[in-house]
Amino acid sequence: MSSVDEANGLVVVGLSRSFGETRALNSASLRVRPGEIHSLVGENGSGKSTLIKILSGVLRPDSGTLTWEGNILQFGSPRSAQGMSIATVFQETLIVPEMTVRENIYLGTDRLFRYGHRKGEERAGARQALTDLGLEGLDLDRPMWTLSLAERQLTTVARAMIRPWRLLILDEATSALDAQQRDRLFDYLRLARSQGKSVLFTSHRMDEVLGVADWITVLRQGATVVTMPASEASRSGILGHMSGRAEVGDMDGAVAGGAAGDETGPRVGGERRHPAPGPPILRVEELTLRAASKPISLEVRSGEILGLAGLEGQGQVEFVECLCGLRRPTAGQMLALGDGGGSRTVRGYRGANRLGIRYVPRDRRHEGLFGPISVFDNFAVTLWSDLNRLGLLRRRQAWTIFEDFAESSRLVSASPRRPISILSGGNQQKVLLGRWIAMRPRVLVVNDPLRGVDHNTKEELYKLFRRLAADGVAIIFLSTEIVELLTLTDQIAVFHEGSLVAMLPTEMSSDTDVVAAMFGDDRHHAGADG
Amino acid sequence: MTDSSPVATTDGPPEQARAARQPDGRAANNVTAFVAANFTRALPYILVPVLYILSLIFIPGYFSKLSIISLLVLASLLGMASLGQTMTIIAGGIDLSIPSVIGLSDIIVTQLYYKHWSLPLIFLAIAGLAIVIGTISAVSSVVLHVHSLITSFGMSLVVSGVALEMSNGAVNGAVPGWLTSSVSAIGHTGPIPIPAIIIVWAVASVLAVAFLNLTRVGRETYALGANSVAARLAIVRSTWTLVVVFSISALCAAMVGVFFAGYSGIPDPTVGEPYFFLTITAVLIGGTSLLGGRGGYQRTVMGALIVAELTTLLVGVGFNASFQELALGILVIALTSTYGRELKVAAKI
Repeated sequence: MSSVDEANGLVVVGLSRSFGETRALNSASLRVRPGEIHSLVGENGSGKSTLIKILSGVLRPDSGTLTWEGNILQFGSPRSAQGMSIATVFQETLIVPEMTVRENIYLGTDRLFRYGHRKGEERAGARQALTDLGLEGLDLDRPMWTLSLAERQLTTVARAMIRPWRLLILDEATSALDAQQRDRLFDYLRLARSQGKSVLFTSHRMDEVLGVADWITVLRQGATVVTMPASEASRSGILGHMSGRAEVGDMDGAVAGGAAGDETGPRVGGERRHPAPGPPILRVEELTLRAASKPISLEVRSGEILGLAGLEGQGQVEFVECLCGLRRPTAGQMLALGDGGGSRTVRGYRGANRLGIRYVPRDRRHEGLFGPISVFDNFAVTLWSDLNRLGLLRRRQAWTIFEDFAESSRLVSASPRRPISILSGGNQQKVLLGRWIAMRPRVLVVNDPLRGVDHNTKEELYKLFRRLAADGVAIIFLSTEIVELLTLTDQIAVFHEGSLVAMLPTEMSSDTDVVAAMFGDDRHHAGADG
Repeated sequence: MTDSSPVATTDGPPEQARAARQPDGRAANNVTAFVAANFTRALPYILVPVLYILSLIFIPGYFSKLSIISLLVLASLLGMASLGQTMTIIAGGIDLSIPSVIGLSDIIVTQLYYKHWSLPLIFLAIAGLAIVIGTISAVSSVVLHVHSLITSFGMSLVVSGVALEMSNGAVNGAVPGWLTSSVSAIGHTGPIPIPAIIIVWAVASVLAVAFLNLTRVGRETYALGANSVAARLAIVRSTWTLVVVFSISALCAAMVGVFFAGYSGIPDPTVGEPYFFLTITAVLIGGTSLLGGRGGYQRTVMGALIVAELTTLLVGVGFNASFQELALGILVIALTSTYGRELKVAAKI
């Protein structure tokens, strides 16, 4: 590369950023030259989104330098990034539903007392951007909420396009688009590249990464693993870099801290139960998550731990929500199977709960905890429906149950009468699990329960889940950490684009297999369609 | 393979043991934090005797049975009206219909007793009406997905409209003599030389604290107020809980209206108006948070006593009504800001 290039483009060196005890970015580096399409890939939680949020001024780094076109960047806000001709399309489709298409495209360009552009200019600009993206026919005056998800996503792309950008960042901006729309977008990107502009994009689709990018950077656990030209990259090579199995003598995990602490071998914590599942207790029949996705049929057996995997937003969360009655599937049904052979349809959250399907939500603080209330009361809140006489609580019985649970799960708490908000994440999670375990679930649906839980507590929770399974509870375990799935589950159901694409027996699978399936690689479809 | 690309590394430097903290400094902090947290928690319980002693110092001849009972009657009326308010606020809501229900109840008692209705029938009618009012506020809040601030305010307008229509400018009313004596400082409850309202309040306070702590609905009230989303996922009966607490609130307001009728003897639909702010003031001064899920009625009892004491003290030393409001306002802001701090301090331990 010439020295002219060195002063141009984007150079990121040693970028770090932590959230509490989780280190999202750990000295990551990146180099995007002018006239280059660069793809950033990595598993969930590898730090892609954090890096992009820093580049677009949403977050500030803890340390590291960003150089853009020869200037060291000190971003304070998205607006200042925009001022440097960096435009970003975020993963979340950020729109104002009540405003029109034109207003959404020109959102944020107005000054306080005057319009940034004349309406005519705006119409022409919006029309041009949408035409480039293949939406010639879209009425600019339609309110945004009337648009399809793909049209909304393209509108957010158009919003970035009308800015005078020299670096365009696309964070999963193609997730809702069909093949034709994606091709139009890529044509536009290639045209921009020929004008010397730079593009940085992330995608969950390996074919896009290999087909469009000039360079590929792989992130793992917040650090840059490798940067390579797309011409030298292969699908399996990239997957290997993402899961960390490609490198000989891979030493990380032991020191990286935070969520990545337990890569000392997936089967640690031991003696795997031999798969001796009992009778089926939950049957999913022809369940369709999204309009275009394939129907899912499967059975969950008593004592089985079924893992759910997938990249962000591929349908696994919807599946969990359907199972516990929080969401109505597009089609299909769930049946809870009784011991005697009878079956009952699962309807609604309360209905599912009555049938013994108990749900532990993902977002502890917003969906699980009663922050100001004591540890004991947080635990006992579900017990009172049984433990009361004419509405008066049987507190002593509840205390006995609580103390038994606290002992067996090694709950660490200064005092069970103090607010639960002062406990560590892992201990909070134990209380939330205990709340339902005390109610003797038949099926326990847990949504990413080990997120933000320290290493030791994780081991304890693994044991807790195994004990439950040994007692005959079916556990449906959604996790964003592949190593957790490999440690705990009997089978892993992998979701991609709203469909169940693979059903992997854990014993015979490696994390590369799981990652490959998550990216829609169809070598592992065996057994998924049955 | 990548000549000028700046990367080929795997991991950053292993920064361990960064989180290690000095245990000694932290222990010392814990002690001060513990004292600070418990001091603010205890503040309302400290203020009650302090304000009483101040009254003794500044108001000549204040130490008498009559002045104590007058103070307690004042506190009882406010305490009763704030009982249900405490529960609705713990549940994460607020009841703005209390003043209008007090007014309606006052009108019904004075008018119907004047028309020689039987007293048990009147009370039954008022109680039934109160439950209907509370239920509508609660259910509409759930069904329409709007905060009870709005539904109870709407309910308040409806109820005061009905009260005004019923009173229709009437000035004639009647109440039984025992009702008048029940709120009079020289009243007796049977052989006990204490007006009935104080005893009613004492009993109601014990029941309310027991309700919140020892019943299923009581615990669910806290859960609902602390986190309504989590409450739904934990199968807390949100609608039923709200119906119960808003009905209790309306029943308490109705009871206060009956006592007010005894106080004045004449129909007055606006008699409850000061209680719009006073109930919330008593709840907040006691230390129950408007955020929901925190606090308790024992705290509101202190809050009602503090409001009554402060009002008496200010009147006693010659300040007018506008100054009283000003003082109450400052007290609310000062106390609630320390309560807010207490939560943060407690969270660090």
